[in-house]
Amino acid sequence: MIEIKNLHKSYKMGSNSLHVLKGIDFSVKEGELVAIMGSSGSGKSTLLNILGMLDEADSGTYNLDNVPIKNLNETKAANYRNKFLGFVFQSFNLINYKSALENVALPLYYQKVNRKKRLQKSLDYLEQVGLKEWANHLPNELSGGQKQRVAIARAMAAEPKVLLADEPTGALDSKTSYEVMDLIQQINDKGNTILIVTHEPDIAQMCKRIVHLRDGVIEKDEMVEQVRASQYV
Amino acid sequence: MFNRDLWSEIWHSIKNNKLRTFLTGFSVAWGIFILVLLLASVKGLENGVTRQLNDDASNAIFIYPNETSKPYGGFEAGRRIVFKNEDIEFIKNSFPGYYEYISPRFRRSVNAKYKKETGSYTVVAVKPSYRIVERTVINMGRYLNDNDIENKAKVAVIGRKVVEELFKKEDPIGKYVTFNSFVFKVIGVFSDEGNEREESNIYAPITTMQLLYGNTDEINDIAMTYNPDFNLAKAISFSDNIESNLKRKLSIDPDDQSAFFMNNSAEAFSDISNFTNVLRVMSIFIGFMILIAGIVGIGNILVFIIKERTKEIGVRKALGARPFEVVKLVLLESVFITSLSGLGGLIFAMGLVGLISPLVDAPAFSNPSVDTITVVTATVILIISGVLAGLIPALQAARVKPIVALRAD
Repeated sequence: MIEIKNLHKSYKMGSNSLHVLKGIDFSVKEGELVAIMGSSGSGKSTLLNILGMLDEADSGTYNLDNVPIKNLNETKAANYRNKFLGFVFQSFNLINYKSALENVALPLYYQKVNRKKRLQKSLDYLEQVGLKEWANHLPNELSGGQKQRVAIARAMAAEPKVLLADEPTGALDSKTSYEVMDLIQQINDKGNTILIVTHEPDIAQMCKRIVHLRDGVIEKDEMVEQVRASQYV
Repeated sequence: MFNRDLWSEIWHSIKNNKLRTFLTGFSVAWGIFILVLLLASVKGLENGVTRQLNDDASNAIFIYPNETSKPYGGFEAGRRIVFKNEDIEFIKNSFPGYYEYISPRFRRSVNAKYKKETGSYTVVAVKPSYRIVERTVINMGRYLNDNDIENKAKVAVIGRKVVEELFKKEDPIGKYVTFNSFVFKVIGVFSDEGNEREESNIYAPITTMQLLYGNTDEINDIAMTYNPDFNLAKAISFSDNIESNLKRKLSIDPDDQSAFFMNNSAEAFSDISNFTNVLRVMSIFIGFMILIAGIVGIGNILVFIIKERTKEIGVRKALGARPFEVVKLVLLESVFITSLSGLGGLIFAMGLVGLISPLVDAPAFSNPSVDTITVVTATVILIISGVLAGLIPALQAARVKPIVALRAD
């Protein structure tokens, strides 16, 4: 599903150049649930941004579902993001003047799905994350966990090839974190490919594979015994 | 392009910034308001001046004799030019098809007397066709006709003012009035829209008056209208032709500017329309300058809104919004705010003009109004303004990098 070879990325910081990714080789198969771990500054967010086409690598190749991702103009990147990727952010990033339902429907709007179908589909996804009754509430009327579940429903609504989650539990207490992880595991059980960036070991243990990043290189890439989040819920 | 979702987006962003939207909208409304008022005033000025010219037919030419200023053909300078009946015939024969109506004018001051009332008036002796040239309106009875000319009848058409002064409330038609020592029968009463002074005049048949005043064939001046199908250039070249032909006939130096005067209303009309056109262009210019303040205001607000919404735009882009869709959103919002508030200004201005228009009736300023052209002009200007105002913020929004916008705060 994802194939990355010899990926480099550096940022200019004034006169200095900060080399963040120093040759990453990495691949993800369909249906995997991968945690990318690392302390801050290890380059995990940069890697996720490149995977999410929000940022571009300096060198190296990146294939997503056998499509080479390179030389993207803005419109093309937008189309790819819309078609291939779903995003979940640490700070939820819901649009605060739109109801939960409208938020979930947004990627479908950019896919030019007609209104009726869009709202129906969004409602289905909200039901799957257990928030059907909250469909018409605004984000500020929801709890943190509920917001993240709306964000996950939104990311899934576009039926992406890969779900990218950047510290999805970073702003949540541990109980809510496990609820969210339970949801992510359920989605993964249905065969969806998911990448999670996290620095919390217990969250990482709930994935099937952990990639440890350190100073811009992959330090360790291990398969783990998945801890089911449902037992903590 | 105009789907429901886009409108709900626009509606949301307006709703979230009510006061700011209102304040900027107001500056655009104000600009349009002033623009429309200016254009309506120009229209009022045009109406007023045109109405004053309406005294006579809009295609009238008057020829007034004077003195020569240059010796020519054996005559000395300072010769008084006098037109005669034959000069009218000369113009008629020289320019068939060019003139529409032509009439001599022969004026005499008279003391008029009816019963005990007296007054001094000018009798203008003319031919029936003069009614068209002067745009005389008959209120009672009839105007002069060809029979009156033929029979040299002692009949008179008297002005509304004359009736008021001599006849008071009596019906003047068929009554006999004495002009100096001659008795005339009143056959009609007229009024003249453009000129009240005209209404103290009396019209009588040219033949009658020439007979009574020394059996002369002299006339005072010539009044005519040119072919109404003529455009301005043709009308002016026609009056130039008459001038040169008359000069040849009357042995006047072709360069003599004071022997007689040609008064062609085409020139006056063209002057007025040039004048008002300049004023109109200036009004649009000034109005647009004022509008620019409003445009900058809206652009300013949108720039702020975009700043505030950077994160949201980043999210949208991460979810697959194309740059074009972001530009569209901002531009439409701008066009929407400008158009709506401009429309408000337009309606308010039209209402105000409609309200004061009946009250304003100065000699050179009457019935200011807003015509379709004004409305169309204003609308086009508004849409252009909206696009201009939204352009910079829209491009700014399109450049938002999702990665910057989404950086956790």
